[in-house]
Amino acid sequence: MKGLLIKDLYMVKKYCRSYFLLMAVFIGASFFATGDNLFFVFYPCMISGMIPVTLLGYDERSGWDRYCRTLPVSKGQIVSVKYLIGLGFQVLIILLVGTLQLVRICTGGPMNPGEFLLLMALLFIVSCLSSSICLPFMFKLGVEKGRVAYYVMIGFVCAGSFIASGIFSASLRSPMQGPFALLLACLTSAAIYALSWYLSIVFLRKREI
Amino acid sequence: MNALEIKNLTKSFDGFQLDHLNLALPSGCIMGLIGENGAGKSTTIRLILDILHRDSGTVTILGKDNQENIHLLKEEIGVVMDEVGIPECLTAHQVGNVMKHTFQNWDCAEYNRLLGKLSLPEGKPFKDFSRGMKMKLGIAIAMSHRAKLLILDEATSGLDPVVRDEVLEMLSDFTRDENHSILISSHIVSDLEKLCDYIAFLHRGKLLLCEEKDLLLAQYGIVHCTAEQLDRLDPSAVAYQRRSPYGVQAIVRRSCVPPEVSVSPISIEELFIFMVKEAQ
Repeated sequence: MKGLLIKDLYMVKKYCRSYFLLMAVFIGASFFATGDNLFFVFYPCMISGMIPVTLLGYDERSGWDRYCRTLPVSKGQIVSVKYLIGLGFQVLIILLVGTLQLVRICTGGPMNPGEFLLLMALLFIVSCLSSSICLPFMFKLGVEKGRVAYYVMIGFVCAGSFIASGIFSASLRSPMQGPFALLLACLTSAAIYALSWYLSIVFLRKREI
Repeated sequence: MNALEIKNLTKSFDGFQLDHLNLALPSGCIMGLIGENGAGKSTTIRLILDILHRDSGTVTILGKDNQENIHLLKEEIGVVMDEVGIPECLTAHQVGNVMKHTFQNWDCAEYNRLLGKLSLPEGKPFKDFSRGMKMKLGIAIAMSHRAKLLILDEATSGLDPVVRDEVLEMLSDFTRDENHSILISSHIVSDLEKLCDYIAFLHRGKLLLCEEKDLLLAQYGIVHCTAEQLDRLDPSAVAYQRRSPYGVQAIVRRSCVPPEVSVSPISIEELFIFMVKEAQ
């Protein structure tokens, strides 16, 4: 598995430079953003979630997806490496954004500790969902067909989020129920991430290429 | 011991079936899997490697079933596919680094020696390699982790004659160790004729023949004669025949042909073409 990880890091270094530049710009911008504009914070998280998808696309193009099945690695390891790579970068982004926002609070910026915790929780949720929705489709159908399935799925997720926001918005405003609803949302996202990881392994085991 | 043993292997797709395939590759030998495009060579190899799931039958590699701990068994198998499958941005040096952490028995010194021997640049990205260089890198990887069985799927097709000769020489060297075996598929029959100890003919998913090459060449010959001359031969001597207005070409069993009939040596390619046409 270490070999697969090293190979993916070489590829990240080569193919994902523009992503890092974008992430750096948006993370920097998030420090100076005013008001409730969370776009600058969420966007880098969503980009980092796309790194494993990009790697899968390049794997398929070069034939690595077939070749790696001739190597002494299990299908579980092939899948897990992509999730670990995604997870690693997402944690890094959350830490970076979190550090910057803490600095902001310490320097008297327009954010209080409660809002900071809410932001971190939302970042965690966005990070979990951004890659966990698309990766199982990619492992089941291949990158191109998986991308189409992902777009369809994202429509359902957006509709679901719209409905959920209606249900949760009242709870979030309540001082007692807000933290509970947030914790529930975080746990649900983590469970979706774990389920996505498991499903990807199952799909790859069944997939013949 | 057999390095590879396939019994009643079956796999069905829409419009194609690999039909109860039986093969045995003894240790220390090279077997050539010959077949036209779509005959089932790559399917067989993918089933051996458990990349495809078999419908029925068994595959035993180095004495172990291929579905039990296949990823551990792959430590002892070197594979080169028709497309090598290395990511385009990686250099040969980086590939060595990846493989060092993939194979338990990875031999860095051997890998570097092979890179030098095959004149492969260490720092050039894979995408800038020619087809021959890509294939040579695939072979260098397959031979650098002390594999006991090499499986090559169309590894020589698309290579120029000089590189092909180099590759065939390396493969021949590999089997000097009697624990080493090779299964190689190709539709370039002349390559396999040079290299192999055993020949297996596949046609539309069916095994037409699996035999020791020298035995095949000793057993069969080709006769060019008239239709009347052919009719005078014992019918059991004639394996396959092709009649035309200009005469008859027939593949005969040498042992059944009277000594006065002139029998020319046959090539594996001629034998294969006759058998496939007969099967059609």
